[in-house]
Amino acid sequence: MQTIPAPILLFNGECAVCRSIAHWVGVSAQGVPVGARIDERPIGDDPAALRSLNPDLDIWAAYETIHLLMPDGSMKVGGEAVAEVLRSLPNCRWFAWTFDLKLLGFRPFQLLLDAGYFVLADVRPLLGCESCGIPSPPVKFIRSLIDRLLQARPGKTRAPHFTASNRAVKPTA
Amino acid sequence: MQTAELIQTVTGSAFKTSVLEGTGPIAVEFMSYGCAHCRVLEPILQQAADRVKAREHVFRVNVAVERELAERYQLEGTPTLVMFLNAQEVGRTEGPHPTLSGVMSAITGPFDSLKQGS
Repeated sequence: MQTIPAPILLFNGECAVCRSIAHWVGVSAQGVPVGARIDERPIGDDPAALRSLNPDLDIWAAYETIHLLMPDGSMKVGGEAVAEVLRSLPNCRWFAWTFDLKLLGFRPFQLLLDAGYFVLADVRPLLGCESCGIPSPPVKFIRSLIDRLLQARPGKTRAPHFTASNRAVKPTA
Repeated sequence: MQTAELIQTVTGSAFKTSVLEGTGPIAVEFMSYGCAHCRVLEPILQQAADRVKAREHVFRVNVAVERELAERYQLEGTPTLVMFLNAQEVGRTEGPHPTLSGVMSAITGPFDSLKQGS
């Protein structure tokens, strides 16, 4: 297992939404000392390379949910990963402390963040990412309405369990 | 060639020896780790590969890396299952239904049809 000097935020490099968020994290972290700064990296296509960062890291899981690899060998996923990233950013620290706040044994702001992450993860396909996840039925319905309005999908009807992808089979340059 | 449980990942160089020069029925899943439908299919394909392991080989090609293979087989997306026998493509399923029966039918159906036809 490789030694990680700083936390690594893994993001789906094929997803425009994820790339934008990772870029925002990078820009927001400017001025943070290198050792304390989160390193953003696309997940890539090599399961073995990911396992070398953390033996418990599964490439399929990494594409499904946001993962933050910590220098102590632990991993934070989903809303917990987002909270940790926000805690590390100078422009978010002022509110990120609320995610640790406990009320009656619950962390209400962390629960809100988890819910927000869940919703964003579900609507990403609406924002142009097919590789992040299969949209839930309501999101699929909304997208089909948008497609119909824009007539964005002419031609043959695809199998429903298929990613007709211009990235997956992108012609070589 | 990398080993990933029951399904071996083949790269461009190993594709010829493992698939085109391989013996018996061979199913190849053209996939990408960033494809959500491939993610859903993965555990089911593992199960199916386990069921057919005595009579059929199942391989995986990552099209995000193996672009040349994706072009050669004119893939339009992922997951696509392509079945080979004696270096010839004998069947293809785009986006198989992610159930064990759906995948079993996709990876064994073309070979069963050939047997019945002969």
